[in-house]
Amino acid sequence: MKVSSGLFLAGVIAFTPVAIIYGFWSNAVDGRPEPVGVVCLALLAVMSGMIGVYIRATGKRLDVSPSDVPDGDIDQAAGDYGFFSPYSWWPLPLGLAALMLFLGLAIGWWVFVVGAIFGIVALVGWAFEYFTGDFA
Amino acid sequence: MAAVGTIVWLSSELMFFAGLFSIYFTLRATRPDVWAEETAKLNVPFATINTLILVISSVWCQLGVFKAEQGIPSRTGKLFDLKRWGMREWYVLTYLFGGVFVAGQVLEYAELTHENVALNTDAYSSAFYMTTGFHGIHVIGGLVAFLLIIGRSFTTRQYTHRHATGAIVTSYYWHFVDVVWIALFATIYILK
Repeated sequence: MKVSSGLFLAGVIAFTPVAIIYGFWSNAVDGRPEPVGVVCLALLAVMSGMIGVYIRATGKRLDVSPSDVPDGDIDQAAGDYGFFSPYSWWPLPLGLAALMLFLGLAIGWWVFVVGAIFGIVALVGWAFEYFTGDFA
Repeated sequence: MAAVGTIVWLSSELMFFAGLFSIYFTLRATRPDVWAEETAKLNVPFATINTLILVISSVWCQLGVFKAEQGIPSRTGKLFDLKRWGMREWYVLTYLFGGVFVAGQVLEYAELTHENVALNTDAYSSAFYMTTGFHGIHVIGGLVAFLLIIGRSFTTRQYTHRHATGAIVTSYYWHFVDVVWIALFATIYILK
């Protein structure tokens, strides 16, 4: 995890000075700092920083991963990574419900209400899929 | 793994809000006259109290996470024995505080509409409702997530690692939305 967190943390080192330079440079050209670039470049640094710091913290809790060992092999990374759903039908009705919600904004609120009802059913169905029946 | 995925997704959410902040700052730099006129209508003390409510809800959420990590889904003592509360009680409290925040936002929108600041009035009002509105939708999404997490804690006899993971990643989202609001509050109500 050290290499991957380092890759993301490099983004902080790259984007922070770029944001500052961009601010001063646009200020010199236009007489005021151009806000879109300053905000987005600064938040790019924050974005890569939050991923980098979190991966680093996760890496400290786990054993040394093969990606940090110079002579590590890919098959050493095999093992249990957590729970993954093999397949699920629920995203399909949830997607259709989202479609009705946006359609409702364009056509009329009654479509929105129908979409909301479908959406609640699909969302609950998806969130509880592995917490009911045989899993309970 | 679910936790890392949540952080990566939240980082993309950060860039979504970066776009909204850019809209706000660009319009503000272009029309300082509109900003001077319209920001005077903001009720800053009210928004400050509302902000405090959201920040405090994050504290309750974190206390719930500690209980989830200890594998305590519900209270083991009496209702007002706070030390014996489980994840569920703290999350219900978080939910109530979040709900009060949304209600406060609605009240503020109603007051501003009375003062003729609507979504389509001018550049300022559009930027104001777009930024705070999208944040409000995120808070409502978080409230729905809390309901699902609280509901999940009732489903199984044993509180498993998967339950705790769901509770923890929901707290990540809640803290993120909280931090975004603090930035929005500083931009809209303090910086003006």
